Amino acid sequence: MAKPPEPLSEVLPLAVWVVDAEVVEVISSGPQPPEPPLRDKQRADATSRNLNAPAQKVKLKVKRVLKGEAVKELVVDKPVAGYALKAGNHGPFLIDKSKTILGRYGPDTYNFGKLEAAIKG
Amino acid sequence: MPLPIADRRISQLYRTLETTNGKIDDAQALNILAEVADRSGLSAAKANQTLGTMTRDQQLAAIKRGMTAGEKADLVKILDQGSVKLDASARSFFEAVLGRPVQPPPPPVVPADGNLRVTGDQSNGLTGTARPGDQIEAINLSASPTGRLHTDDTTVIATADADGRFNAAKLTGDQAIKEGDLIRMRARHADGTTGDWVTVRATGLGRDSRNAEVAIFRIGLTENAGLIDVSNINASRQISEPGAKLQFTNARTGAKTVVTLNAEGSFDPGVKLQGKAGDTFNVAATDGTNNTDFALTVGKLQVPGADGAGTVDLIKDPALHRDELDASGEPRFSTKRFTGALFKDGVSMEDPIQGQIGDCYFPSAVAAIAYQNPQALEDAIADNGDGTYTVTFKERDWRSGSGFRDVKITVDGDLYARSWGGPLYGSSRGDKGEKTMELWFPVLEKAYAQWKGSYNAIGDGGHSDVVMQELLGRTGTSMGVREGNEAAVFAQIKKSLDGKQPVSAGTYGETQAARYTNTGVYANHSYSVIGYRTADDGTQLVKLRNPWGESEPAGNGSNDGIFELDIKTFNKLYQNLMYTTP
Repeated sequence: MAKPPEPLSEVLPLAVWVVDAEVVEVISSGPQPPEPPLRDKQRADATSRNLNAPAQKVKLKVKRVLKGEAVKELVVDKPVAGYALKAGNHGPFLIDKSKTILGRYGPDTYNFGKLEAAIKG
Repeated sequence: MPLPIADRRISQLYRTLETTNGKIDDAQALNILAEVADRSGLSAAKANQTLGTMTRDQQLAAIKRGMTAGEKADLVKILDQGSVKLDASARSFFEAVLGRPVQPPPPPVVPADGNLRVTGDQSNGLTGTARPGDQIEAINLSASPTGRLHTDDTTVIATADADGRFNAAKLTGDQAIKEGDLIRMRARHADGTTGDWVTVRATGLGRDSRNAEVAIFRIGLTENAGLIDVSNINASRQISEPGAKLQFTNARTGAKTVVTLNAEGSFDPGVKLQGKAGDTFNVAATDGTNNTDFALTVGKLQVPGADGAGTVDLIKDPALHRDELDASGEPRFSTKRFTGALFKDGVSMEDPIQGQIGDCYFPSAVAAIAYQNPQALEDAIADNGDGTYTVTFKERDWRSGSGFRDVKITVDGDLYARSWGGPLYGSSRGDKGEKTMELWFPVLEKAYAQWKGSYNAIGDGGHSDVVMQELLGRTGTSMGVREGNEAAVFAQIKKSLDGKQPVSAGTYGETQAARYTNTGVYANHSYSVIGYRTADDGTQLVKLRNPWGESEPAGNGSNDGIFELDIKTFNKLYQNLMYTTP
């Protein structure tokens, strides 16, 4: 994908939870989305080709809640997106009301400093 | 030794040619054959004069009537044993007199101007003459307007043979010739020079069913002093075929204006319509055979600028990427005019900031150039002083031999903007204000989108080396990166950066995305390579910049997108280097 993260001001209002968490288990993975066809004169190593990794269902161990109800563990959906998760991945997760991870790059989308400042307003 | 010819008069004529190293051309052949025809009741002089007024069949009949057995034997000797060269047409004439099989017709006379000639119709393709060995280039101007073709983007369709002929040459695929099509051709000589363009209208192919094709997306309408200026926003390409007529009908007033395109299939300067900003024009076209009543339209164009602020769009903007269209295909963002300085503090490699579009390869390449050669970017972008900017790109020119040709694209300062006012797509570091943002990078990106057709055309990925080539006019290339070739990769980075060449590096796609999460490096992304060094402990380090202007591996100081990786990590995460050759 390689687009920059969505503006936090557009994503944060959708987040029911903002948590500092770690992936403890990848419960399931969906099918690999088809690659978009190469455009005219495009080589296979082109960047920003809108390639995506499969959807996943993962279990998060929550270390800290920055926004939302207190919780220790969450099972959430990682949508088809330009990143993938594996056990041990960690960072700030923004999660919407359908328990889907927000942000184009999951825990790599926004850093804690930016999030904490935005949540404080 | 003289050829032994029995007839005294013929012998004298032939002997003269032998001694003067002459040849028998059509005129000499007629002189000799007049001596043969003189027994048909005419003197030789009279026969010669009379023969000159006859058709070839009449000449043959007269000569045969007067020919004796001895003269016939003399002609056989001249043909088969003589040392005097005969032109092919003269030889053919003699053969016909003798009743022998006629040789093939003489080869065409190759024009001294070196230009090709097209003969006959196109029922079997393109046939004609040029210099022997010339390559015959052609483009179907009736089939090329909506493609990304210039009028000189020809295809080699044939090579003229030793006699200068080419036969039944064809254009294929989208360029296949139909009845009524305009085919532009020229001969390319062995020394690389070319003859003049020759344009033919195809015949012999049945019914003319192809109407004038119109690249409506290249038509720019601009309100100017109470009238609408009509222009080709990509003047190096066609609007339609040469001579096509376009009818513009103002949907508000009903006023109709017919415009005839010039020999390049474009608008002559000064074309104007009656109307005002916000008017919609229905456009219809005819090639002179089809749709002559303009009943069928090819599309609609609206004169930009009828927004609430009364701003008049100076130049039609490239369309949004499809991701920014709503479910009904309508744009979710509109433009705002940015009027800041083109350059506030010169070009810096930290200026380009990628927007919400998948064109990371573009800001990555531009920042890499800015790091090595900021002057090249300043030179490429000109402020026209009227709210418009002209960017000079470089396009490969395979035919001229000079390598690249300039492509000038003019855009205005209108940028798609978010509700809070900042640019949706590329912007500059720091201030994003409409009157204060430094404009060179977003203007450059907009011009690139304009050149390629739209933001959609540039927003689904690409190659930084191609962008470098298109901005610098130097050949772009790439090198594979993999675990194991660290030494070669580091050496190439060193060589390119020391040689003042821009370098970018691309990561792998999302199928291997799991390797990137938590690394601070992102998949399917292009980074500018802006330095290298060897640490005190011998570790080789590569310095990179994320074109987002932020987001980097931890421990690299402020979050400005600039960071270092050791070469082993670099080779693990990146799949290629892209750079230009000197």
